[in-house]
Amino acid sequence: MLGRIRGSAIYIAALSLLHCLAWAAEDLQAQRSYAVELPVGFPKPRIPADNPLSIEKIALGRFLFYDVRLSGNLSQSCASCHQQARAFTDGRPRAVGSTGEIHPRSAMSLTNVAYATALGWANPLLDSLERQALVPMFNERPVELGLSGKEEELVDRLRADLRYQRMFAEAFRGQSDPFTLGNIVKAIASFERTLISGNSAYDRYVQGLDDNALSEEAFFGGRLFFSERLECFHCHGGFNFTASVTHEGNPFDETSFQNNGLYNIDGRGAYPPDNTGLFEITRIPSDMGRFKAPTLRNLSYTAPYMHDGSIATLEEVIDHYAAGGRRIHSGPYAGDGSKNPYKSNFIRGFVITEEEKQQVLAFLQSLDDPEFVTNPRLSDPFQLWGCVSDCNYDFVVTVDELVRAVNIALGESSLAVCLSADPSGDGDPTIEEILQGIHALLAGC
Amino acid sequence: MEPWMRTLVLFLAVAVSGPGAYVAQATDTSGRFDRYGQCAGDRNGDGQVTVDELVAGVNNILEGCGHVPVAIRFAGRVGQEPFQCGTTYSGVGRNGGEFVPSDFRFYVSNVRLLTSDDREVAVLLDQDGVWQLEDVALLDFENKTSPCVNGTVQTNETVRGRVAPGAYNGIRFVLGVPFRRNHGDASVAPPPLSLTSMFWSWQAGYKFLRVDTALDAYHIHLGSTGCYFAQPGVVGGCARPNRAEVILRPFSVEDDVIVADLAALLADSDLNENKEGTPPGCMSDPGDDDCNVLLRNLGVDFASGQPVAGLQKFFRVEPHH
Ligand code: HEC
Ligand code: HEC
Repeated sequence: MLGRIRGSAIYIAALSLLHCLAWAAEDLQAQRSYAVELPVGFPKPRIPADNPLSIEKIALGRFLFYDVRLSGNLSQSCASCHQQARAFTDGRPRAVGSTGEIHPRSAMSLTNVAYATALGWANPLLDSLERQALVPMFNERPVELGLSGKEEELVDRLRADLRYQRMFAEAFRGQSDPFTLGNIVKAIASFERTLISGNSAYDRYVQGLDDNALSEEAFFGGRLFFSERLECFHCHGGFNFTASVTHEGNPFDETSFQNNGLYNIDGRGAYPPDNTGLFEITRIPSDMGRFKAPTLRNLSYTAPYMHDGSIATLEEVIDHYAAGGRRIHSGPYAGDGSKNPYKSNFIRGFVITEEEKQQVLAFLQSLDDPEFVTNPRLSDPFQLWGCVSDCNYDFVVTVDELVRAVNIALGESSLAVCLSADPSGDGDPTIEEILQGIHALLAGC
Repeated sequence: MEPWMRTLVLFLAVAVSGPGAYVAQATDTSGRFDRYGQCAGDRNGDGQVTVDELVAGVNNILEGCGHVPVAIRFAGRVGQEPFQCGTTYSGVGRNGGEFVPSDFRFYVSNVRLLTSDDREVAVLLDQDGVWQLEDVALLDFENKTSPCVNGTVQTNETVRGRVAPGAYNGIRFVLGVPFRRNHGDASVAPPPLSLTSMFWSWQAGYKFLRVDTALDAYHIHLGSTGCYFAQPGVVGGCARPNRAEVILRPFSVEDDVIVADLAALLADSDLNENKEGTPPGCMSDPGDDDCNVLLRNLGVDFASGQPVAGLQKFFRVEPHH
């Protein structure tokens, strides 16, 4: 204890020095609007005018995304079904909600979701991340987070948290009561807009950063992918390998929903009754089985595949397309998907050698972005990454980072500039926490 | 219009739009004003006050002096018995099953009283900031006691407003949220459109009617389906609006109550039967045959989603005591 206090004296001396530095550094980051760093060749995502990005909203949204208080029974958060290590999917064929109810569909990857035009496997009505977030929160068919009717309880839970008191106030300045449903979904959407993945081997190759990034096998696989024989690029084209994208300055929202021949239950094109695709919303017969062609980035992390997780491996996916559809021999869903009358005419089947198959596979794997699935900025903020006051998660605490922490403590900066300055979660880097930061600065992280 | 006239109209509008006046309660979903809209005179909530709106407002206030308050009573029932969360009602449905309700709420809108010569006179709803917004009201019979856990403690069995004095012998209203209010941003909507249990985010709208059961989950969630965007983010229409037009006659505001009877609604359904592959009950999914008879008893043709006169059995008039 004594030694600790003596040590503290030195720390406090250092602290007062930092105080001065802090004033000098006048950290205005809080007010500065945040621009997401984009990979070369990526257009700017379209950001709704009423929800401009800010580091405060992004940080708050990150907490909310990972917070189990966002489920009725405190068992699930968005991240339960959208896990970073799995490129924000859950590894299950069909998602399971907080009350155990099984979702008819598979949790989708949130890779580059900032560019998506229609959210979900087949819902043209979900056009913004803000609107979409209400679905898992309040939907009852199926129950996901199970918050229907519990909006007051939710807000009360969040309001009781000291860290949220600070973060909501900083993210939504000037509002007398920032704890609203509208603000919750705005913050979550802001965080989702930072889920940008563009650092795969393929990206480094096309950006000209590394001519050797693509193996020869993957290179030839790419040729096949973009060929008129395989036709993959028609539906999985563009920088995000999906046709359903838009971006800032683009007046068009191209949403394409396609039937790729997975089912044909009655010989007249039927899909399983709980998964009829676009038809479920529009009731137009030819919309039967039409789903969004999802991004093909990060596939190695997102198995199993398709809207109902009914294809386990990428080899089988390629076999599926080579056969021009899937034939199910027995069971309730038996039928020849390749003869589905609503199937896209780009899915005609093709002949492919084993070697070529491996090439296509290698190409698909070259779209994996290991950095994306480990990026600490996208990770669970309730877990301390690195050490106290290591704001940029590089396992080194610098004077600049400590200055930030002190500024936060002084109320000069928002908490968002250094989430790791407050591991205890009381919304304030306490003396104790700053001392820990100083310790990390002096003794290493 | 001359500038001085404009000033006069504005002055009049502001001077007379005191508390309780409909025109002063315009709501804002654009976020351009304070949370629930402070833009006096913006009658349609579009964030602009047009001269028409002002004139209408002024007229309302002038006429409003002659308007009389009305309180239209509703009652939730299961057959002859009052609705109560968790009560076991027997003999409900085609095959007389047991029924334990766990929710019972619905929106009505565009409430009109009918004169004997078939004129429709609009009831201007009190803008109470809780149950009524513009011409929409939420009726809520559940009180959150078990098993109505998704609900609210507060209940509401009355629609309150003002109407021009007259001899009325009937009533007409829509069961549902009007199109113009159905597809806005639910996350910032004012009450009673702020209740998440009535959100139907997946269909980009609201549940117009919500009835749930505790025993062998059976749900009735009525709402518009087949909606589509006219332009990005703006719902242009819905293939099946599923809004019922209810006409009840004779009906006296003073002496009668409008009974909403779940037994009558479920009379042709089998609570223990469910079309395979569809949710238990009816969530307005056009592929779900369980909806057919339910929508008929609400007065809606299931195939088209359009109201059909004279079909509904859910509502009836009884003397109030
Ligand atoms: C129970 C698991 C589960 C939870 C919890 C969950 N999701 Fe999802 N998510 C899914 C499933 C399943 C889909 C596909 C939905 C569909 O098409 O019907 C999906 C789709 C999405 C999409 C669409 C992605 C795209 O590319 O179109 C977004 C965005 C999303 N979820 C965000 C969230 C957010 C934000 C939360 C927390 C508020 C959340 N999810 C919670 C399972 C879940
Ligand atoms: C006609 C458009 C179209 C073409 C051509 C097409 N796809 Fe698809 N793809 C889709 C659709 C639509 C889905 C989702 C289908 C579903 O789940 O019902 C899909 C799903 C996938 C998936 C699963 C992704 C996931 O996250 O679950 C993979 C992998 C895939 N496609 C790869 C390919 C490859 C490789 C090719 C070329 C051989 C190809 N696709 C050609 C439309 C297409």
